[in-house]
Amino acid sequence: MLQRTHNISPSDMPAIQIEGLNKWYGDHHVLKDVSLSINKGEIMVVCGPSGSGKSTLIRCLNQLEAYQEGRVSLFGQALSSDTASTQHINQNIGMVFQNFNLFPHLTVLENCTLGLTWIHKVPEDDAIKEAMVLLDRVGIAHLADRYPGQISGGQQQRVAISRSLAMKPNILLFDEPTSALDPEMVKEVLDVMINLASTGMTMVCVTHEMQFARQVADRVVFMADGEIVEMGPPEQVLMTPKWDRTKEFLEHVL
Amino acid sequence: MKNVTNKQAVPLQKFVATKSRLPKDSSSGLIAYVRQKFFNNLFNSVLSLAVFYLLYILISGALNWAVFDAVWNAANRRECQTLSPNGACWAGVISWFNNLMYGRYESALQWRVNLGAVFGLLWLIPLALNKTPYKTWVFISAILLYPFLAAYLFLGGEIGSEISLFHAFVSAFALAYLLLLYINLGLAYSRLGTLHRPLIGLCQKITRTKAKPLSFTLVWCFLALIIWMVFASYTLSYVPIDRWGGLFLTFIIAGFAITMAIPLGVILALGRRSKLPVIYWLSLLCIELVRSVPLITVLFMSVTLLPLFLPADIEFNKLSQVLVAVCIFAGAYMAENIRGGLQAIPEGQYEAAKTLGLGYWHSMVLIILPQALRMMIPNIMTSFISLLKDTTLVSIIGLFDIMLMARNIANDKAWLGLHTEPLVLISILFFVLCFGMSQYSLNLEKRLKVGH
Repeated sequence: MLQRTHNISPSDMPAIQIEGLNKWYGDHHVLKDVSLSINKGEIMVVCGPSGSGKSTLIRCLNQLEAYQEGRVSLFGQALSSDTASTQHINQNIGMVFQNFNLFPHLTVLENCTLGLTWIHKVPEDDAIKEAMVLLDRVGIAHLADRYPGQISGGQQQRVAISRSLAMKPNILLFDEPTSALDPEMVKEVLDVMINLASTGMTMVCVTHEMQFARQVADRVVFMADGEIVEMGPPEQVLMTPKWDRTKEFLEHVL
Repeated sequence: MKNVTNKQAVPLQKFVATKSRLPKDSSSGLIAYVRQKFFNNLFNSVLSLAVFYLLYILISGALNWAVFDAVWNAANRRECQTLSPNGACWAGVISWFNNLMYGRYESALQWRVNLGAVFGLLWLIPLALNKTPYKTWVFISAILLYPFLAAYLFLGGEIGSEISLFHAFVSAFALAYLLLLYINLGLAYSRLGTLHRPLIGLCQKITRTKAKPLSFTLVWCFLALIIWMVFASYTLSYVPIDRWGGLFLTFIIAGFAITMAIPLGVILALGRRSKLPVIYWLSLLCIELVRSVPLITVLFMSVTLLPLFLPADIEFNKLSQVLVAVCIFAGAYMAENIRGGLQAIPEGQYEAAKTLGLGYWHSMVLIILPQALRMMIPNIMTSFISLLKDTTLVSIIGLFDIMLMARNIANDKAWLGLHTEPLVLISILFFVLCFGMSQYSLNLEKRLKVGH
């Protein structure tokens, strides 16, 4: 289903490599020496209490946030804010936000075709076809002509996922994709994500959905106070945590 | 997600939603309405009666003056006054009506002004229709092409003279574009076949080229050439700018300022939000300087001071100086409106555009500005309305716009001292125009509102 058009480096190279990342908001130290590597095709769930820096961490991966120290490299190429690097990020990383951030003045379909027609220069008819396939995959092809304001939150988030997928990224970042949703709509979005996980997409998800983590994650990262407390396969981190902080957190969310 | 397996001992009851019903009908007859709104107690009844009486005096007085006692047919003001000393003397306004509309434009040539206005309307109508294909291009062409067509019609001149040659040349393209636009519009509304872009398909067939823009350009140039040949065989006689006037001139100034205000305002607003210090400070300076000076001062400066700074051999006519001044003025105000809209767009929209790979200009033009402009429609329209009214100030520096023409009536020997009636007419005219604009903006808001 997912076409990988970009030629990427050998499979043994990590998709994303983070080395010694430090970030401050003023005097507030939000990321403390974070190092992490994410492999190609890996599904990583980042969890932790609010204010632990997990959203900031994944926003550093596509340079939405600037950081003061450290290095992030994407398929072996160190990232910076220059044009070439931005292009490299845009070709490889897509992102799904907590508040969907759909473009309210465009229809669902136009939201999905926008990137294709303007960035990838795909002819309009082909772009529509491609977008419809994606919308069909997340089960909302029948809403293609609606505006984001006219559909439910769960549907909006599924549109946002299709919009990101339309750009054919190799890595998808999810920043608390279900936190703004009503309980009844969480499932429809998680189903789409589980489905996506089975296609071999590299995914980094900040989420509190531990059931999702247990079901599809290859690794779970637990963060607290700007650092990685522990990391490992979901059974290990979620069932037999080594640290008291992890245990305390898990008692609250499970 | 959660595989809860609670064994239920009792079978579950099936939930069926209660049927909805309508609220009680609370509307009642007219008499009940009037009684409830105006005469619900003694004090309010007295108040209502007093207000009704005052309204009666006002309205009947105004109607008596303007309609029942008015003189519509007279040779001069003296005759008006002998016929009806207490009524309005519309005869004077009627005899000057042509001048109020066209200034001192020769009456035999006024069809050119009318034709120009018709073309302008033809250009604007597709923008108001929903199905118009390539609306952005229609808008851009209206800004870039129409002014030349209008200038060619209004100004005229020997086809050999440089400026007129240029105007006629661009006008040919403008007319050809307008023609194609309407063909396209007709096709879009008739829905010929299921073709997505019927006109482009047609162009491709005619020119036997595959590239869509190229085929369109070829057809366009060909049409323009034909129109150009028609133009070349006629000469429109020259009408100097100082003969332009009346409502016609008011429309030119206001129309120019309104169309230029948006692009200029967008550029200044983006500049003021720019992170590059030079652009930021230049925009800030421009906006703040212009905003802190009255329009009259800007107008005077552009007419009296500007020529001092420019080399002696460059000579601008008064109209173009005024146009530049009004544009800068309108742009500065518009910039602040648009900046307000830009600030109201949530940060998430910028981030979403960025993660999709859209660069600065793409995200501005496709994502941010459409939303910001939409949000600011009421403010923008308010600016436009005040701009339209402000254009009457140009009469102070001696352009014969509708205001100056109206004051000239009082100086005419036959209508000496006729001040009130022309001003009343102008008030009515401006009210109709401004009210129309505000109604259009309400309509625009309603049409562009997409579920929130």
